[in-house]
Amino acid sequence: MSINIDEIFDYTSFSIDREPHIVLDNSICVGCDNRGCTNSCPARCYTWSEADQKMTFVYDGCLECGTCYVVCHRNAFTRWRYPRGGFGVAYRMT
Amino acid sequence: MKTNFQAIVIGAGPSGSSAALTMARAGLDVALVERGSFPGEKNMFGGVLHRLTSIEEMIPDFWEVAPLERHIVKKGISFMTGDSSFNTVIEGGNFDTPPYNGYTVFRPKFDNWLAGEAVKAGATLITRSTVDELIIKDGAITGVTIVGRSGQLNAPVVVAADGVLSFTAKKAGLRGGAFDPAQMAVGVKALLDMPREMIDDRFGLVREQGFANEFVGCTDAVRGGAFLYTNYDSLSIGLVFHLASLRVSGKTPYNLLNSFMEQPQVAKMIRGARLQEYSAHLIPEGGYNMMPELTGNGILVAGDAAALCNATGLNLEGINLASHSGVLAGKAVVEAHKNSDFSKNGLETYRKSMNDSFVVKDLKMYRNAPQMLHNNRIYSEYPELVCDFMENIYRIDGAPKQNLSRLFIKKASEKIGLGNLAVDAFNAWRAI
Repeated sequence: MSINIDEIFDYTSFSIDREPHIVLDNSICVGCDNRGCTNSCPARCYTWSEADQKMTFVYDGCLECGTCYVVCHRNAFTRWRYPRGGFGVAYRMT
Repeated sequence: MKTNFQAIVIGAGPSGSSAALTMARAGLDVALVERGSFPGEKNMFGGVLHRLTSIEEMIPDFWEVAPLERHIVKKGISFMTGDSSFNTVIEGGNFDTPPYNGYTVFRPKFDNWLAGEAVKAGATLITRSTVDELIIKDGAITGVTIVGRSGQLNAPVVVAADGVLSFTAKKAGLRGGAFDPAQMAVGVKALLDMPREMIDDRFGLVREQGFANEFVGCTDAVRGGAFLYTNYDSLSIGLVFHLASLRVSGKTPYNLLNSFMEQPQVAKMIRGARLQEYSAHLIPEGGYNMMPELTGNGILVAGDAAALCNATGLNLEGINLASHSGVLAGKAVVEAHKNSDFSKNGLETYRKSMNDSFVVKDLKMYRNAPQMLHNNRIYSEYPELVCDFMENIYRIDGAPKQNLSRLFIKKASEKIGLGNLAVDAFNAWRAI
């Protein structure tokens, strides 16, 4: 029994909005001394590339938990809000 | 769509629906606004639904009609290391007689049902609507704008039951800007399918009995713990981490959950199960010290939005506090309508009734518990000590036995240090 986070769409349902509910200013991430988002996000939405010195963020599999909003001490978000009504994660039986 | 109401409730979770139900029963025209396509779609918990006494007053057959899973008769705590565990279980006869102390539930079902009760009482449920902005006139909140369904809703008073991050409370100036990671935890959960008979046999249950277990020492030294609860034909298994600890650990919630599920004793409990759903949610664990202002001009804050969560380490409560706060908020709005005073002053009955209720009294009593739980030793050294000590007691290998108290002191001084032990015992005593 194990969870492969890359296959999150096999377990958990989403209705993905075209418009992202979280917008990251990843230029701020370059100088960050912590990047706690990369390991703390339960859906691995944040990936730091050491080679490219670049933070990549995808919102598709976001579980809307708010972890990144709390752990980011640089306030790197241009926008952080919940998806528009009707969009985002859809739990069925949790 | 109708846009003018006597009250708007933001969020159809346990606190919001309890507030809407209370107000609708009193004859108010209430909008219950929910961002999910149905109430409960966005909600998860790793927990047990405890008695909702204020809901029982409004719905006397609550426990027969609500969509519940198993009632908890067995409650355990496990002190765990990578390959050992020491378990304590209380199975109380009293836990098996109604009114039951707690149930497992599925939030998408339960929250949907509770919102439905508010609708039956006359509330207007508006789903697929995320509240975007508060409308403020002359310093008082008079409505909200929504996105999803788009538009504006107007009412002289708003109940912010919009969950742990409550952007509404923030926009109303009732809480500070940034959250402190030391006051927040994240829970991740796997919902595992397992046949009902297998659950009954494996956990020693009959009829609709349920088992709830918490674990400590299973988080690779990140501050946190694990849980395992039985539903009718599934298991809820997950981990909770303090964010201040997780963010500097470099470890990921899903890998730690996988390691937990592979721990030999846990692996035996979940063998044969199939992963159905993976979910995550924040928990406001800061307790009393984290609570925002509960009222402002035209606004009241309830549930997770008001950080009403009691996590003492032994008890983990949230929905019962949320629901009760919602009922009290609803009553205060009814009162405010009688006096046509929706100012902070006019809504103060909420603050007062909260202070007199178990919600604030309990949070106040355990106000030192969150700080006590910020002790890294609880999450690795102590579980190791317990397992090691018990293993030494039971090991019989031809060597002469050691005096138990001397053995304990020896082990404790190796693992913890006697000075630390004294300090930790004092802090724990003071906190709970």
